Amino acid sequence: MTIYESEIPGVGHKFELELDGEERLVVIIHHDGKRELYRRPSPNEDSVKLASLTGKKARQLGSILEGAYFQPVEMDELNVPLGESIIEWIEVKAESPLTGQTLEEAAIRRRTGVSVIAIQRGEETIANPKPDTTIESGDILVAIGTREEQAELTTLLTTDEGN
Amino acid sequence: MADPLLVQFGIAVTAIALVGALASRIGLSVIPAYIVVGILVGPNPPTAIGDVSLRLVRTGEFIDLLAELGIVFLLFFLGLEFSLQQLVSNRDRLVKVGLVDLGINFLLGLGLGVLFGFSWLESFFLAGIVYISSSAVITKSLIDQGWIANAESEPILGTLVFEDIFIAVYLALLSAVALGEGTPMDAAISIGTSIAFLALLVGVAWYGSEYVERLFQTESNELFLLRVTGITVLIAGTALAMGISEAVAAFFVGTMFSQTDHVSRIEQVLSPTRDLFAAVFFFSIGLSTDITLLADVLLLLGVAVLITTIGKFVSGTLSGRSYGLDRTRSFRVGLGMVPRGEFSLVLSTLAMSVGTGALGELIPAFTVGYVLIMSILGTLLIQHADRVTNTLETAFT
Repeated sequence: MTIYESEIPGVGHKFELELDGEERLVVIIHHDGKRELYRRPSPNEDSVKLASLTGKKARQLGSILEGAYFQPVEMDELNVPLGESIIEWIEVKAESPLTGQTLEEAAIRRRTGVSVIAIQRGEETIANPKPDTTIESGDILVAIGTREEQAELTTLLTTDEGN
Repeated sequence: MADPLLVQFGIAVTAIALVGALASRIGLSVIPAYIVVGILVGPNPPTAIGDVSLRLVRTGEFIDLLAELGIVFLLFFLGLEFSLQQLVSNRDRLVKVGLVDLGINFLLGLGLGVLFGFSWLESFFLAGIVYISSSAVITKSLIDQGWIANAESEPILGTLVFEDIFIAVYLALLSAVALGEGTPMDAAISIGTSIAFLALLVGVAWYGSEYVERLFQTESNELFLLRVTGITVLIAGTALAMGISEAVAAFFVGTMFSQTDHVSRIEQVLSPTRDLFAAVFFFSIGLSTDITLLADVLLLLGVAVLITTIGKFVSGTLSGRSYGLDRTRSFRVGLGMVPRGEFSLVLSTLAMSVGTGALGELIPAFTVGYVLIMSILGTLLIQHADRVTNTLETAFT
């Protein structure tokens, strides 16, 4: 992915991220910390403003996109102190290298440190999945582990790693 | 009525705040609003509504001082945001659009001066005033309009960078010539001292950035603000005492910081200071304006508005084309360059300080009228650009 950076005198910095085809995401970071997010479908079309964020909100959004920031809203059922660990819900995309493998083959705990405590498949929730449970595309893995371990899992699940 | 100075200042800032809010509400640039409210509450006519006196704020040393600080900070920030890297990396394109812009609009201004029987010096002032677009109004409009994320913002911002550098050099030359009047010897000495002093500043900016970096290293924002303000105002003041434009000196102090890591901190900590003083500067322009003088320059004003709007539109469209933009977008570049503002006023303040012939009254009065019209007209053209370009498209095809 190509990112173009330029300085805007009196305003701040502009970053343009190339998305699919000619589409670009434009981020303006103002000197006062405000961030503006624009989407430009193609060079000949006008940019559409998507959002205007304060510095703090922008950092939160950034870490969410990065996969490092996640605060489950409904923690009612979980009264157990988890220490450093957090629970995350991570979707398995069709292109993920783990689809079709059983939990045993995928060896998620050994490779990342997180434990898969449940799998949500459509309406159904497989609690405490067995080692021979097959991971399917579209599954949502409910995993417990530290932030770092969760990040490892995200990496493992994305195809980028293989490329 | 002998108001304490504090009351006058309070009235001034309150008036500025009120019209500023009003202008933003209706989506117009704040600069003309500040000038207009200055005219209203100032000592020149109109002086009363019925029996209520409108001579609320009299020009005095203190407003003059704050206005001067406004100029110093405006130019300081110009220098600060002046990016050498950007200039060097885009050199060819930038110089091309800059020269097109300069060639068309500066010459139009010069021609206008000659046509209306001004002297050469007066014509050069006039040319600078109608040539320089307003970075402040234009960048604000670009953000409001969302153009900042589009391709047309590149030639617009590029041209502004070129103009800003040009105007800094131009101010230096013009003030050396204008203030050093008398024998050619006096002028030569004046130009010589200017060049020596500015060369010194440029030398520090170029070679001393590491030293500047360390000198201004401090944890406390308060101390940082004081140091930067102190050095800037001190150098600008010294320049003025030596007969050199304070604005130009401030520009070079700005560039001195532009090479350091302090840039973003200065922008955060000092922007409010700049905004306050710059607002007072625009306000003070209004205070010192006698709008009855506008009657004398009405014809010049009309002609100038017409041909310089067309001039910027044409040069901007050509610039857009040279950046490979399509026609609609190139038209937008042209419309985007129309607003004039702060630097035209800085030039007219310099003209007023020279005070001879048309420079003393006629050109300042013209500039106020011109900036009022061009900043409003320019903002409107950007806001309604789609309608304007559609009309033009159909007219040309």
